[in-house]
Amino acid sequence: MLRVLRLARNDFSYFFRTKWLMAILLSLNLSDMLVVALVYRKLMTFDYFQFFVPAVIIMGLFVAALDTGRRIWLAIREGVIHYYLSLPISTIGIVCAYLLAGGLAAVVYSGSLLLIALIVLPAHAVWNTLVLFPFLFVLAMGLAGIAATLAALASTHGEFFFAYQQIVQIVLLTLSTVFYPIDVIRQYLPDFLVRIVSANPLSLAADAMRKYTFAGFPIEPWPLTTLLLASLPFTIIGALAYLAALHTIQVKGKL
Amino acid sequence: MYAVETQNLTKRYGKTQALKGLDFMLDSEEIMVLLGPNGSGKTTLLLILATVLKPTSGTAKVGSYDVTKQPTKVRQVLGISFQEARGFWRHKPAEILRFHAAICGVPKSRRDTAIEEILKDLELWEARNKLFMHLSGGQAKRLEVSKLLIQRPKLAIFDEPSSQVDLRGKRKIWEQIRKLREEGSTILIATNEVREAEYLADRVTILDQGKSVTCDSVKNLKDEITGGDIVELELEPGTDSARLQEELKQIQGTVSLVSGGENRYKAHVSIAEAWVPKMTNLCFKRKTRLLSVRVTEPSLDDVFLHFTGKALETPKNA
Repeated sequence: MLRVLRLARNDFSYFFRTKWLMAILLSLNLSDMLVVALVYRKLMTFDYFQFFVPAVIIMGLFVAALDTGRRIWLAIREGVIHYYLSLPISTIGIVCAYLLAGGLAAVVYSGSLLLIALIVLPAHAVWNTLVLFPFLFVLAMGLAGIAATLAALASTHGEFFFAYQQIVQIVLLTLSTVFYPIDVIRQYLPDFLVRIVSANPLSLAADAMRKYTFAGFPIEPWPLTTLLLASLPFTIIGALAYLAALHTIQVKGKL
Repeated sequence: MYAVETQNLTKRYGKTQALKGLDFMLDSEEIMVLLGPNGSGKTTLLLILATVLKPTSGTAKVGSYDVTKQPTKVRQVLGISFQEARGFWRHKPAEILRFHAAICGVPKSRRDTAIEEILKDLELWEARNKLFMHLSGGQAKRLEVSKLLIQRPKLAIFDEPSSQVDLRGKRKIWEQIRKLREEGSTILIATNEVREAEYLADRVTILDQGKSVTCDSVKNLKDEITGGDIVELELEPGTDSARLQEELKQIQGTVSLVSGGENRYKAHVSIAEAWVPKMTNLCFKRKTRLLSVRVTEPSLDDVFLHFTGKALETPKNA
């Protein structure tokens, strides 16, 4: 277990060492939060800051978790995966370490965005945020699982991985309540898509953050349990896909 | 029990068969060198033993552990230094070694001292603050080797440990590998560098096209070559060279004799130690003065040529 954690910590630190990625993510997310949300708040009839900042935080979580796939793909391309397979750690341990690191990196990154937002939020938001974070961590592991699946599918073709990542990003963000309230979605999308939007873990996370952290409602267990249940399948599928990819590498010598 | 044992080991990559029923044994605390040209199956064998690859058929054991059935146990007793250095692009050498030492269970109290010692010894101390992606090929390779020197596993596997490294660096790496064996590790090295094999090997296994051609000590392998020893002679001017040349050819153990200029000869003989006294005796009888005698033994390249019919050192890998 200690070795899994060491491996996870190593991959976790790799995310924050990628300075160009940090610069892009932070500049985009902070400009969204501090310029778009704060300025639009004055222009709109409702509190756009309270609606849009949770969206930015969940998007940050999403993008940071998806970066797990880039790191997995790099490890495959550079042969670091061979190194991992020779270390005294089980193959399942390697998979768990990546998902843990992906989840943790995403939560720490989105947490830093939330800390900035908390400056203008009431004190009770802090407690609700602390309750919400373990659930966001599971969601981030699920998203890391999606990224692991994409990396396994992309094999050694990096450009495919980034294409898959963009497609997943567009689909998951468009079919969610991250950027639009569910009432707006109901007006434009058919019923079956509305149901998908409601079950999308990104919608569940964004809604939970709006309701509990930003609006200050007391925490309810059911929405968080739903978030947990919606995220777990992604984690499991991702773990299995990555395991299958490692097995293929061991049998064929490459993906 | 052998430190490593494979039986009828095969590995296929699609239509390519990298290993063809390999039987291979490695004793504890010996340095075994796998010698073979590119594509002979050396790296595939090492990667199977390190559990990075799964064999297509056959068995491979490290100690008592089967590499397919107990990979995690195998990983706990061995370490591998890869042919191409494997490192984290955005980490510094000391961080990479610290991670490796920690995950391989090197006691915390020993880690920092050992890392500093190895970095200094392999002349990486100056580069300790560079990111891995900024290291030169030689530096990255030395860092790769350093991982095992810190880990000090029971079975240390090196895949071309000194490739891309300058001569001075090669010597340092070879000394460290020998020291590792003296401390009780079993060493398996794959190389296509003859000098490396001659310097390090207790025994050499020659691999060719996925099969073991022969396995023995360097001396025994050289002794197996008929006409492997070369004796170069220089005689005083005025000798009846045609007659003497004929008589030299008659000496038992002479495989061939060629003239290398005026009064100079090059003889390929089976065992130089037996041939040279007979030759000096003949010269004494003929009252011919010997100006110089030079004996050279065959290189491992000659051994490889003898057993496989191919040259090992091509201009590319020499």
